[in-house]
Amino acid sequence: MHLPHSTLKQEFVKKWIMGLQRCKFSNNNMSIFERKKAIKLSADTAMASARKGLTCWSRALISNPDRPVPTTTRRASLACKKIVKRSRRIRRTAKCGAARKRQITRSIAQCLVRKRTQILKSLIPGGEFMNEVCLIEETLDYITSLRVQVDVMRSLASASVRASEPHN
Amino acid sequence: MESNAGTLETRSNRTALEREEVAALESLQFTDEIHRLMSAPATDNASSFTALLELPAPQAVQLIHSPDSAKLIAAPAPNVEDLKGGFHFPSNGGLIERAARFSVFAGEGNNKSDSPEATSNNSSANLPKAVKSEPAETESSQPLISDPTAENRGIKRKDREKVKGQTKKSKTTVKESSDDAEKLPYVHVRARRGQATDSHSLAERARREKINARMKLLQELVPGCNKISGTALVLDEIINHVQSLQRQVEFLSMRLAAVNPRIDFNFDSVFTAEGVPPQYLKELLITSGSLMDSNFSGMVMPMMWPEVQPNSNRQQYLQQLHFDAFQQPVWGREEVCNNYLTPENSLLSYDSSANSGNFLDTLNEST
Repeated sequence: MHLPHSTLKQEFVKKWIMGLQRCKFSNNNMSIFERKKAIKLSADTAMASARKGLTCWSRALISNPDRPVPTTTRRASLACKKIVKRSRRIRRTAKCGAARKRQITRSIAQCLVRKRTQILKSLIPGGEFMNEVCLIEETLDYITSLRVQVDVMRSLASASVRASEPHN
Repeated sequence: MESNAGTLETRSNRTALEREEVAALESLQFTDEIHRLMSAPATDNASSFTALLELPAPQAVQLIHSPDSAKLIAAPAPNVEDLKGGFHFPSNGGLIERAARFSVFAGEGNNKSDSPEATSNNSSANLPKAVKSEPAETESSQPLISDPTAENRGIKRKDREKVKGQTKKSKTTVKESSDDAEKLPYVHVRARRGQATDSHSLAERARREKINARMKLLQELVPGCNKISGTALVLDEIINHVQSLQRQVEFLSMRLAAVNPRIDFNFDSVFTAEGVPPQYLKELLITSGSLMDSNFSGMVMPMMWPEVQPNSNRQQYLQQLHFDAFQQPVWGREEVCNNYLTPENSLLSYDSSANSGNFLDTLNEST
């Protein structure tokens, strides 16, 4: 499942170029946003199909390519901090033996971890349906694929910038 | 010594049943104990089963890949026939001697069809000598033969805790590695010293071990996670990393869209209108060439540019691309355009003026 970086890059580039060719931007009437959406769509689909259906996130991405733009999700961590403060207050008032402390800290840690896994599930395409083990494997794969995608797009963008420079 | 032998037997049962990718650490611990036993004069009076297993057990670490090791004990379905075929100990004269001494194997060749029963009888005969956890072993070995198709069911060794004299308790887990096609029916988990042996907690612990192993991989992948301890913080970093990567993709696609608003990705009108030289295509080829095949790009580069008109070159190139894409129109298809390189190679020999007409025709057909 863990392909080497270079073969993944090759696959991605091939499929992306194919996809870009197929989106026929016939006129220049398309707005920049539509264009960007099409580029992103083709890139994402190329990325996912380069995985050849081995991973869950790739299948989910192909079936549902429109994902919300990632926004900052700090609210969950704030909620956890509130819980921590509240439990500290309780701890002070209650009789705290060592076992009790351990229990409390363990429950706090579990709460934090649970919040974060929820966030991660919302990030990974198709993540809501996985158990924790699969989630971590999928995250590994997804991160490598995203890196490949970013590398290729960045090199293409810099190449095009270099190309258009002499004519500005 | 007998308790050691008994535990050795059960432990070596476990080694033979482990999957290949189980931590070598476990086998190292086993080999330590086993070597100790091996160096001692052969305790032939002890349970014959263990004596028989004394040799294969250390070699089980190497033999795990071979089907021979699976013959020793009840094995998963593909090896049941081997098991029935009998015990084939690989070339070891001393072991065969010892085997010949015991009543079960005396007068037999290698092949005996009722050898599973023989082993179970043998092991049950060792019951009084061996540890009282023996019955758990034999009983469980029977369902192993009969129910090999269960996947990843845990056999919980509840009695292990009571065995005295074990200095090392090791935990054995089976990793579900998805790239291994073999499926071991049972997960064997041994409880740690002083920990609960409840079946639920054992399963929990196995699961947690799996998760922790993968979290370590993730920590290595995400930069800056190595120094952080604690699951929640590591998860925080991972989330940040994934979010930043996704945002980068968004930003880069916006940038590519904005690079030149007049570049449509057929490249046609832009290059004709502005007369953007082959630079863009050159860069594209360089990047894709470096990604795909350095030889290819080196080949294309010197030969593309001496040709007559840049525009028609590009058109040919892109129309070839489009042609190939047309041949494989479905996205999810696994056959990537294998002849991706060859049309471009064939471009080199083209006389542009002669063939441009053909390509324009194909383009018109496709549109």
